[in-house]
Amino acid sequence: MNFFEQLGGELRKLFAKPRTWMGYGAFLAMEVVILCVYKLEKSQHYMRMMVERNGLEFGTYYSSLTITFTIMLLSMFLLGSIYFALVAGDIVAKENEDGNLRMVFARPISRLRLLLVKYAAICLYTVSFVFFVGISGYAMAVLAVGAEGGLFVMEPKMKVFAAYPEWAEGATRLALSAAGISISMVTLSSMAFMFSCFRIKPAAAAIVTLTILFVDMILQSFPFFKPYESFFITWRMSAWIFFMEQHLSWPKLIESYALLFGLNASFFTIGWLAFQTRDFKT
Amino acid sequence: MLEVRNLIKAFGGKPALRDVSFQLEKGEIYGLLGHNGAGKSTTLGIILGMVAPDEGEACIAGISVQRERRKALHKVGAIFEAPAFYDYMSGWQNLRILMSYSGGFDEKAAREVVERVGLSRRIHSKVCTYSHGMRQRLALAQALLPEPELLLLDEPTDGLDPEGIKWFRDFILELRDERGMTVLFNSHLLSEVEQMCDRVAILREGKRVFEGSVKSFSEGLPIFELALEPWDKAEEIVRSLGGEMISPSRVTLPLNVDPAELSAQLVHAGIKLREMARVHRSLEDVYMEILNGEGSPN
Repeated sequence: MNFFEQLGGELRKLFAKPRTWMGYGAFLAMEVVILCVYKLEKSQHYMRMMVERNGLEFGTYYSSLTITFTIMLLSMFLLGSIYFALVAGDIVAKENEDGNLRMVFARPISRLRLLLVKYAAICLYTVSFVFFVGISGYAMAVLAVGAEGGLFVMEPKMKVFAAYPEWAEGATRLALSAAGISISMVTLSSMAFMFSCFRIKPAAAAIVTLTILFVDMILQSFPFFKPYESFFITWRMSAWIFFMEQHLSWPKLIESYALLFGLNASFFTIGWLAFQTRDFKT
Repeated sequence: MLEVRNLIKAFGGKPALRDVSFQLEKGEIYGLLGHNGAGKSTTLGIILGMVAPDEGEACIAGISVQRERRKALHKVGAIFEAPAFYDYMSGWQNLRILMSYSGGFDEKAAREVVERVGLSRRIHSKVCTYSHGMRQRLALAQALLPEPELLLLDEPTDGLDPEGIKWFRDFILELRDERGMTVLFNSHLLSEVEQMCDRVAILREGKRVFEGSVKSFSEGLPIFELALEPWDKAEEIVRSLGGEMISPSRVTLPLNVDPAELSAQLVHAGIKLREMARVHRSLEDVYMEILNGEGSPN
């Protein structure tokens, strides 16, 4: 019970900061822009070509589900990662910088417990943010093009192509992939959280995390590394797209997510060890 | 109530504490003095488990902070200089969050404490709108909520106005009288320490160089403040009576020497004696003697 009380307090702190809400605002603005682009005739023409070239009917797949998928595919990794890194990078380092931690350390709470509470709050923030983007994106798309229609998925990098003419199946796959993105993004948040536990400025924790991920992503795109792409964190984080495959390959999904869970646990453990051995002078 | 045993701590090879030990009895107010970097905050950090000592330990009510931190800090409250709250939240929300780490938030108890520290009217305002004095009152409220038996105060009156300092001092003394609370008071405001504390310790370069009761300062040889000239002649007379110059205008006399004898001899020698007054040895005198390396009066 006490853990949940502490978690509630941590979430209240997190959502009382204006910085936490910046991401929500940015995503809403971006969703509006994407929707406007989708309404343009040229954009629709491009989409029509892509759908019809694959022998599918444009009317079925020019839909709110397809638009939502595009929003999540395009934005989550690039824009979302910035906010996840900022918020997770802040959660310990900023409190240390502001002196809040010494008030907390005057209380009978262990460092491990404190970090568990903070980590749980960051995971919840990450998951809720991904679902917020999905739900708000879908709601806007419904307003723009209506609720009907299937889901069209094309992701050449991960070699995924799928079409779901029925709304129910498309929506299920979209919800599954949102859950997958959430878990992928928790890895990014975990990395920023780990750096936040070090003796480091909050902004530095976010910058180091983003640098590592962007370098990982850039190296992954080198032809030389093509045979080794599955060794890259960002490739594993893109595994959510496999939830969109016509035939779900559970071994492939389990392999990637087991690896990500392992990484998350490692990041947390390293962060905790660094935090545990630090002196916090008053 | 609190026992600090043989603390040794170095930061990056530089010694911060060198075998510091002291004990606080229940209901005692104990002052920890020293210049900046003397090791006061490190000592407090070790007592709260924020800093790991290289050697030694701190025990609260017989429980080692280093071995059983959660149990040891169960009935401890602490206030720091410039307490850092979550500025973007209200005072009430801050108390709620901090208390969630101390076994849960009790609204009734919180209302009582807030009333007592005189913050009822502003407790639901954001902390960023609080003055320094109000922040200190909130700090006091959060420290009192776990009903502590030991209160650790780290420069709590720094930056407060004279009324604020007096209010704070009276409040702490009241708490001690009412609840028998033990207080460790870390400060460099010597007059505050003198008015509040039963005993004091002075740290210099990480070493405890003095410990004694505040009452003991006024004991010992009588001290006289003299306004006269010329001083060289007067010094000879003071020495001939067995006395000693302790500062440019102060002398001590042996207990068996009547001060009237000194004044008579000074006047007789043609020294212009304008004023002679007995002064009490203050904490400041002791502190300056020690920190100026004039030896330990302990």
